[in-house]
Amino acid sequence: MNVIWFSLLFSVGFIVIVLDLVRRQRLKEQYSLLWLLVGIGFLSVSSNINALEWLAGLLDIQYAPAVLFLLGLIFSFALILHLTVVISTLTDRVLRLTQEVTVLKAEVEQQPFKRKEGRA
Amino acid sequence: MGSDTLVIIPAYNEEKTIGNVIRSIRTQIPAVDIAVVNDGSTDRTAEIASRYGVAVLNLPYNVGIGGGMQTGYLYACVKGYEYAVQIDADGQHDPADLPRLLQHARNGDGDMILGSRYVKTTRYKSSFMRRIGMILFSGLVRLLSGQKVKDTTSGYRVVNRRLIELFSGYYPTDYPEVEAIVYLKRQGCSIVEVPTEMRERQGGSSSITPLKSVYYVIKVALALFMNVLRYPKVREQA
Repeated sequence: MNVIWFSLLFSVGFIVIVLDLVRRQRLKEQYSLLWLLVGIGFLSVSSNINALEWLAGLLDIQYAPAVLFLLGLIFSFALILHLTVVISTLTDRVLRLTQEVTVLKAEVEQQPFKRKEGRA
Repeated sequence: MGSDTLVIIPAYNEEKTIGNVIRSIRTQIPAVDIAVVNDGSTDRTAEIASRYGVAVLNLPYNVGIGGGMQTGYLYACVKGYEYAVQIDADGQHDPADLPRLLQHARNGDGDMILGSRYVKTTRYKSSFMRRIGMILFSGLVRLLSGQKVKDTTSGYRVVNRRLIELFSGYYPTDYPEVEAIVYLKRQGCSIVEVPTEMRERQGGSSSITPLKSVYYVIKVALALFMNVLRYPKVREQA
């Protein structure tokens, strides 16, 4: 098995795994679109070596596979930045929820007799 | 709720001092309502506070001073208080100044009344590093908000209903004191600085270590600039 077939199989497998994660609701649709695009990117690059070499020539890169590393790095940084944005939003929301629960808890504790009266 | 004023005491592991602080506030203003924000303490802070019959807001984990303080403001907002006082749990703020600070707020002298260590000569002495930080923040605040504030990091404050509502919506997270000043100025609120007596902390230790203080200065400076870029200036209301 040469590297071309390996890459093709890997790309197809990757797309199948992403689709299955969405099916089992382990991955949100909006994030899955991103990973499906990556999978399709893999697939097109591995099925078309000429495209990779054309791109390398365009960027004046002697060693064509280095284009892959470059693209991979750019993508990784962009994704990590995106994830920290998502985490920031989540942090804000968790804090807000925590605060509201804390205030509600205090209000409930201040009315310990209401429940008993209701039952009597 | 009997009073129109809520004293908010943010507390993280302050079992040694919290009782004294509550007692001395009660001595100065017997009728005032008090809420202790227990920011995930691992000691007996909550237990001791609740023994005094004050409201205890128990955060399930430590959210930091900003998040904790905002919980207090949120509580004050929901409960409909007209004034909220912010005072440290470590005993370095003297509740004897509180009636005077509150009077300024009631007179409508400003939306925030800031209890300051530096306006007049008080007995308070601070470390060299702290002074440098103070001067730096003071200059930044003046540059960004046009307001002269000497003690920008003081956590001894009285705010009115307008700021209770504003802070319930947005309050800076870690090291919030300086940013809160710039934020309220951007929102067209006013601030008045009043001299207060500061005492040495009665127990516990400062949360700021030398390494943290570098992060502190950089983080606060960045937050101040971002605040200015984020919020368009609102004209001050009379």
